[in-house]
Amino acid sequence: MKYLECFKFLASKRQDELVVTSAGNSNQAWWAATHDTRSSFYLGASMSLSTMFASGLAFARPEVKVWAFMGDGALSMNTGMLFVERQMNLPNLTHFLVSNGCYGGTGNADLPSREVRNDYVAIARAIGLERVFSFDSIAALEDGFDEAVNGNRSGHTFVVLEVERFSEEEEKGLGLSPMDGPEMKYRFGRRIEELTGADIFGYRV
Amino acid sequence: MSKKQRVAAAIAEQLASCGVKLVTSLPDNWINTLLATVDADERFDHVAVNREESAIALCAGAYMGGVGSVALMGASGFMTVVYAVTKINYTYEIPVLIFVTLRGAFGDYQKGHASNGLYLEPVLKAINMPYKIIDKEEDIPEIAKIYKHTKAVFRPAVIALTRDLLS
Repeated sequence: MKYLECFKFLASKRQDELVVTSAGNSNQAWWAATHDTRSSFYLGASMSLSTMFASGLAFARPEVKVWAFMGDGALSMNTGMLFVERQMNLPNLTHFLVSNGCYGGTGNADLPSREVRNDYVAIARAIGLERVFSFDSIAALEDGFDEAVNGNRSGHTFVVLEVERFSEEEEKGLGLSPMDGPEMKYRFGRRIEELTGADIFGYRV
Repeated sequence: MSKKQRVAAAIAEQLASCGVKLVTSLPDNWINTLLATVDADERFDHVAVNREESAIALCAGAYMGGVGSVALMGASGFMTVVYAVTKINYTYEIPVLIFVTLRGAFGDYQKGHASNGLYLEPVLKAINMPYKIIDKEEDIPEIAKIYKHTKAVFRPAVIALTRDLLS
């Protein structure tokens, strides 16, 4: 399916979920689909760590649902994170793995396993994740989204989104969130304070 | 109670006094007693991670959720987290307290840690990472002070635990 169409669909289904995106295309695509400046943390300054960041957040705020995006390039760099996700088994976390077979943030360079179509569902299941889903078309995503993302769950959810690579032309139109690091931290943190009543920045010595 | 257990318990008390809830770790032989102590302590959720960078990201996320956390790792582990710390903690100004072992220092006869003896402190200085070496039990109360400092200035800091303290 088309990368941006997929993200626009996800944006249309989003309610109060907090979103963490990864370095590369998911940052760009989520920004293009939402222009969200409050409830999304564009973790552009990280490779392969968005779902760990999201896991820390989901652990800290079990009353809030968290979506984390990551490309398969990032997964290739830190596949072992899935062991940690299995161990933490957070029911309020959905890990969206955006599979396009390349390092999309760096000019669509091929992944090391370019000769083989990686089976991320099999990898996740072999590691012990139980709620594992895969969608390769908007129609399939429309049909299965609610069961996968909003269904009853006792643990972590892993969703593979099979998408096409962005063309150079498509990527030019995406843009990036204009916020710098501290601004994003404060906007996101204040939103969490508003949603949960938590005191994120008010640590008093 | 052995000295190792006493030191580990004192460190755990410091963490609890600061409100730390999440403890992330990768092991080093020197901190195994400390890891066992926090793992058994119901005041903490101890998450063993796959690599040290994952610990840094977990702690950053927990911070954004308003939960206190620390990362425990060996010196070699710290040498692998420069990217994560400088990207996540420096870019977004997110504090974290990282405990490392001062491997490779005088008295550590493991040849494999010679590189840490040579490069750990120069790397900490190169990335402007504030750090404190804790070598004696009476200095353990410094931990709470340093943890609070990270929160006040939105910066990470490192506490390096020595062989003499941990053995």
